Amino acid sequence: MQPSDPENRHAVISAYLAQLSAELADCDAALRHDALIDAEVHLRAAVQAGASPQRAIDDFGSPEEVARAFREVEGAPPVPVTTGTVPATADAPATCHSAAPHSTGAAGADARGPARPRGFAALPIVGVWARPTAWGALLYFGIVGFALAMAYFVWSITIGSIAFGLLPTLLGLPLFVALLGSARALCLFEGRVVESLLGVRMPRRTQPMEVANDIGFWQRIWCWLRDTRSWLSLAYLIGNFPVSVAAFAATVTLVAFGTSLLITPVVSLLGYPMMTFEIGNAPLSMAAGIAVLTATLWFVTALGWVYGHVVQAIQVARPEPIRRHKTPPFNPTPSLQPNEGTVHAAHH
Amino acid sequence: MERDLSVGTAWLVVLAVIAKSDEPIHGYEIGRRLSDEAPTGLSFKQGTLYPMLRAMESEGLVRSSLTPSTEGPARKCYVLTAEGRRVLAAWVNTWRCASRWLNRIIGGSHATE
Repeated sequence: MQPSDPENRHAVISAYLAQLSAELADCDAALRHDALIDAEVHLRAAVQAGASPQRAIDDFGSPEEVARAFREVEGAPPVPVTTGTVPATADAPATCHSAAPHSTGAAGADARGPARPRGFAALPIVGVWARPTAWGALLYFGIVGFALAMAYFVWSITIGSIAFGLLPTLLGLPLFVALLGSARALCLFEGRVVESLLGVRMPRRTQPMEVANDIGFWQRIWCWLRDTRSWLSLAYLIGNFPVSVAAFAATVTLVAFGTSLLITPVVSLLGYPMMTFEIGNAPLSMAAGIAVLTATLWFVTALGWVYGHVVQAIQVARPEPIRRHKTPPFNPTPSLQPNEGTVHAAHH
Repeated sequence: MERDLSVGTAWLVVLAVIAKSDEPIHGYEIGRRLSDEAPTGLSFKQGTLYPMLRAMESEGLVRSSLTPSTEGPARKCYVLTAEGRRVLAAWVNTWRCASRWLNRIIGGSHATE
């Protein structure tokens, strides 16, 4: 089989991507997703421009080199941009550039997940009060997430009901396809919100569905319909609502309960006696209030981690791309030999 | 002996390549231009470009947009932001000062090797 054969080109690129994925196996799923898309789009562009798959891979770098670059650049503090110094190597920050805050989200999501807590935030149990992810999660589950979940639910159920009702006519199917498209877009938006507030890194772009460039309109529609991410997104928008209601109710109840325990002695001292409160219980009440609020922050942090990774899992789902040519079965653990038409890891 | 291009100088040259482009430029094209102009003995692996571009975008130095391609999936194309131009100008100035200083220091026969 010659390297110019489209099937073999695809097999060579797929084998390279499998190796790159293995090199990034211990990294965040969104980082791995981004790295694979970048590599795939680049290698296909190189091959389309006339390079052989082997040449394209040699120029691109071995899986080890590319994985190392992603780890170094995305996992390390970025080069400062506010000074006039020439950027230094990412692995020698102490001598070449000062520390700079990472700006990939308010909660500090990066390739290795949220930034490691420092100072007071590193303390066990009470450190949660100083963690941005905890306050972001409280904001998300207390206000933002509930409002968004309600809007998603109303939109999905309304458009879905109309689309199903119109299925006997010609309008039903395009409306349903539009609903799937909107579900994908809303889920991407949700990902940005989740990344900002919950600190879980989301992929920077989605997996391209089409590899062939001459697929038709109906093939694209079919591609959308059979894409796992479309259905997962729609399921999330609908299924998220009852979960968000429960999370909202639990969060608001806990915050209200903890706050009431904390402020009751103060209110009582100000001359507004509470029916069930005795002033002698003030220290106990305030301690219980702080304990409940601390537990609440841990609760929303844990829930936020789960939520974030559910949304991330939806967004990194890989669709089966449409191709013009049938491809050989993909071998997830290819044997890479330096023969013609296969990949060999270039060690320099 | 073949050596990798320093990650640090790569930030500078990548910004410069984007700045020189008249229109939004995608990652493959940036990598191709860098590889074409790399001197003998200095390798540049194009795959190392993408994490750099993401980091630059996070820092607000470049802005990206997806551009439909007639040769496959949509490509992410990059342009410099105003902040990117400001930072590039500062870095270029620093680089030239450092380069002159370095040439004076190493001077003599080492400078021509």
